[in-house]
Amino acid sequence: MTCIRTALTRTALAGVALTVAAQAAAAAEIHIIIEEVPEYDIVRTLTDRFMEEHPDITVTFDAMPFDAMRDRILTSSLAPSATYDVIIVDNPWMEQFARAGYLLSLDEMIAAAPDFAFDDFFEPLRDVATVDGTVYGVPYYNYALGLIVRQDIFDAAGLEVPTTLDDYVEVAAALTTDEMSGVAMQPQRGYKIMEEWSNWLFAAGGSLFDESGAIAINSAEAARALELYIQTYNDAAPDDSVNWGFDEALRSVASGRSATMLSYNWMLPTLNAPGGVAGDLAGNFRLHEVPGGQAVLGAWFWSIAANTEQTEAAWTFISWLTSQEIDTDRVIAGGAPVRSSVANDPAVWEAGFGEDYYTTVQGILEDAAPLATGIHAEEIIEIVGTSLSAAVSGQTSVQDALDEAAEGIERIR
Amino acid sequence: MHLRFRLILPLAAVLAAIMVYPLAFSGWISVHDYRLDRIDDVAFEGIGNYAFILTNPPFWNALTNTVVFVFGAVSIELALGLGLALLLRRMVHLPNTARAILLAPMFITPIAVGLMFRFLLNSEFGVIPHYLAALGIEVDWFGPDLALFSLILIDVWQWTPFMVLMFLAGLEALPKAPFEAARVDGASSWLTFRHLTLPMLRSVILVALIIRALDAFKVFEYVYAITRGGPGDSTETILFYIYKTGFRFFRLGEAASMAFVLVAVVLVLVIALYVAMRRRPGQAP
Amino acid sequence: MTGRPLRYRASQFAVELTVAVAIAIVLFPFVFILATSLKPPHQVAEPGVWWFEASFANWAAVLLHSDVPANILNSLIVSLATVAIALLVGCPAAYSFSRFKAGGPARFTILSASMMPPVILILPLFLVFYHLGLLDTLAGVVVAHLTLVMPVVTWFLIGFFDDVPRELEEQAMIDGCTQFQAFVRVILPTVRPGLAGAGVFGFVLSWNDLFYALILTGGESRTLPVAIAGFWTFRGIDMGKMAVAILLAVVPVLIVSFFIQKHLIRGLGGGAIKS
Repeated sequence: MTCIRTALTRTALAGVALTVAAQAAAAAEIHIIIEEVPEYDIVRTLTDRFMEEHPDITVTFDAMPFDAMRDRILTSSLAPSATYDVIIVDNPWMEQFARAGYLLSLDEMIAAAPDFAFDDFFEPLRDVATVDGTVYGVPYYNYALGLIVRQDIFDAAGLEVPTTLDDYVEVAAALTTDEMSGVAMQPQRGYKIMEEWSNWLFAAGGSLFDESGAIAINSAEAARALELYIQTYNDAAPDDSVNWGFDEALRSVASGRSATMLSYNWMLPTLNAPGGVAGDLAGNFRLHEVPGGQAVLGAWFWSIAANTEQTEAAWTFISWLTSQEIDTDRVIAGGAPVRSSVANDPAVWEAGFGEDYYTTVQGILEDAAPLATGIHAEEIIEIVGTSLSAAVSGQTSVQDALDEAAEGIERIR
Repeated sequence: MHLRFRLILPLAAVLAAIMVYPLAFSGWISVHDYRLDRIDDVAFEGIGNYAFILTNPPFWNALTNTVVFVFGAVSIELALGLGLALLLRRMVHLPNTARAILLAPMFITPIAVGLMFRFLLNSEFGVIPHYLAALGIEVDWFGPDLALFSLILIDVWQWTPFMVLMFLAGLEALPKAPFEAARVDGASSWLTFRHLTLPMLRSVILVALIIRALDAFKVFEYVYAITRGGPGDSTETILFYIYKTGFRFFRLGEAASMAFVLVAVVLVLVIALYVAMRRRPGQAP
Repeated sequence: MTGRPLRYRASQFAVELTVAVAIAIVLFPFVFILATSLKPPHQVAEPGVWWFEASFANWAAVLLHSDVPANILNSLIVSLATVAIALLVGCPAAYSFSRFKAGGPARFTILSASMMPPVILILPLFLVFYHLGLLDTLAGVVVAHLTLVMPVVTWFLIGFFDDVPRELEEQAMIDGCTQFQAFVRVILPTVRPGLAGAGVFGFVLSWNDLFYALILTGGESRTLPVAIAGFWTFRGIDMGKMAVAILLAVVPVLIVSFFIQKHLIRGLGGGAIKS
């Protein structure tokens, strides 16, 4: 390995020399890896504005699907000099990437920019971005979960949208007919089932770890959450949907075959868009807080690669894009809120999707909690997600599945 | 230098240039506690990684699933491929067009095939369950009992064409004289097939089997696109498991040692197959 | 004697019918994706609907406003280059393995290398390519694909050379050829079906590879599988556009395969075995 590392260092030094020479002559160019999602369209438009205002900085994006991102970030981070100067980081990756030394600390830059108002970002988001007291990312958008319902069906049936787990189980079953399922679930093994079921876990008063840090995934609360989840899958979800993920659930709701789903809060504008996936049903969907009130938090963050040579330009771009002013434009264009001031801005309500939507999103964000944290987050999600899937498909009993998950977590910790 | 080595030289040179370093590197990794999030802190493990994976139930589960997948998929493909190739040679109408169409599936990237069948077989908006339901048949394609079998069927759809291609080429290369003689002697077509065609195709069958099996061992995209290894761990395959351990959980040392165990297992199987089929030249496989 | 032609015609009908069924099974998904590519978005999830107002929005988007045509070209370049190199280098080696019995183990060592999962080889390859400046280039992908394709192609050909009777080159050598000349002029033409088969298989391996291409290409050097995987996002799987990309990719290959299989049939037309 020594010879490799020497070679790497040598190239890195050569790279630095080259870049220094290049910087003197030409403007900075930053390369960003980003996920291909509706948010990206908004960011791209805003970036054109950024480049008009900052002619000396060129920003290029490499947009790709979620599943490709981690591999590319990994290889870019292991190279002596970065392919990507700016990385967007998903919340389960944050601690692992930060501790692995892939990301740059943003503390000094944030401190040097008082107008940036970092405290304005919702607290659960700031918590994810902070590892051992150091900030490694600026929130980009949230994908906390909400309960998306066909409001017209609830209204016609005179039903209240459920706010507790027990209500939800009951209402989902009541809504189920031959033509329609009460809830389109996403029990696909791994991340999907874990992301969905964790809302049930929170609602039942459970958690992955208890306050002392001990594994609590096989608690009585967790068992109840899983029992109810399985009961609802059997009673109120579409037949044979045990491998369903996001895509199937969305299609089922959008085509009028399911009445509710737990999904990202920003799916609401997508579903209600005229001429979109939902066809004539657009306009009938509404967002509520998840039953029980505490949702799973997902969020993306802008981070700077530790091996970039364009730190300054990268920060200029990130701090411009996430500033209060530009973030307001982003949210009005349909972006998911991350700043409290923006989500509370009546101008945003009016130009965006109405007060009700933003108030609900704020309610979701206030106490949302990530699926898993720590350097093993990604693997914990997989372990628990596998056991859950085994239980839902009837291969193991609820308690056995949860005990197995607890053992799995114990083994890697 | 002997002609024998001069002929091998280009291959040896190219393989040395592109494979020796990567293989040596992964061999080195496999005996270290090599984690992608700690590459400055790598401890020598000796056979520790190997000892761990060989006693790790998920590894064996993934290996078993994969062997079942390979055995199921390749044997169905072999039978169908040989049958179709024989039929195609008897086609009178549009044989070229028929062949070209039958070869098409293998030119679609597997990830797209996976996503396509995820839709085709979807219980709610898939075309296949839709029409099966009209016949009163309900099948849970991706439930715990059938998921692995469904993945096998997808593989059969995509890769039987390769077998067809192999056997078309093989049948074409057969000498004509023995078949004429058999016809003159009035041998039935089954007898001709059993005692002439099959034995003469032996080496083509062997090559096709081994090549397809090696490729099927690498099954990854269908799992990735459809089941993610579920329900439970019923469709977890070995390459998917290695990928997750190495690239998603960052334990590259463990992943590399699994890769070497996999290579060893496959080599043993392939050599066993090879020896079994070469030893009995007179018999059909 | 009237029974025989009748039986013959009946069995011929059965043959054509069976092949027709096989063709229907193969074509069914293609019909489905063609329909998907033309369906308006909200009808994609309705399996019973075959009569709909066709929209060419997906086709226009993919043909005119995406990189898919360029991706197809990239994939073609990569696959053809990979196969050409693999055949050129693999063919003589395979002949040597076959004729000068190198023993089972030696034959299988080259195969075993290709069994190494890409996940394990990608990191060293990535670092080497980084230093050589081959990242995000088609040349880098070709090299990566050679690790996958070359051993298999070589091994594949050994089997075909094994089937060629030794008398052929012995005869040629009696006629005054050196062994190398006998290999090039006499043996190679007889294994043409094998070459075509190996070539097609090597092409398919390279054409379909996602993993290496995903990590080693970016921007303009993206290959088709990377582009197709790109339709699977959190907007949902864009089946309509993916369908167009699949059809665009399959049609040229279908045409090529039409000619390749013709070549397979004629391969031995003037071959030595027959005479």
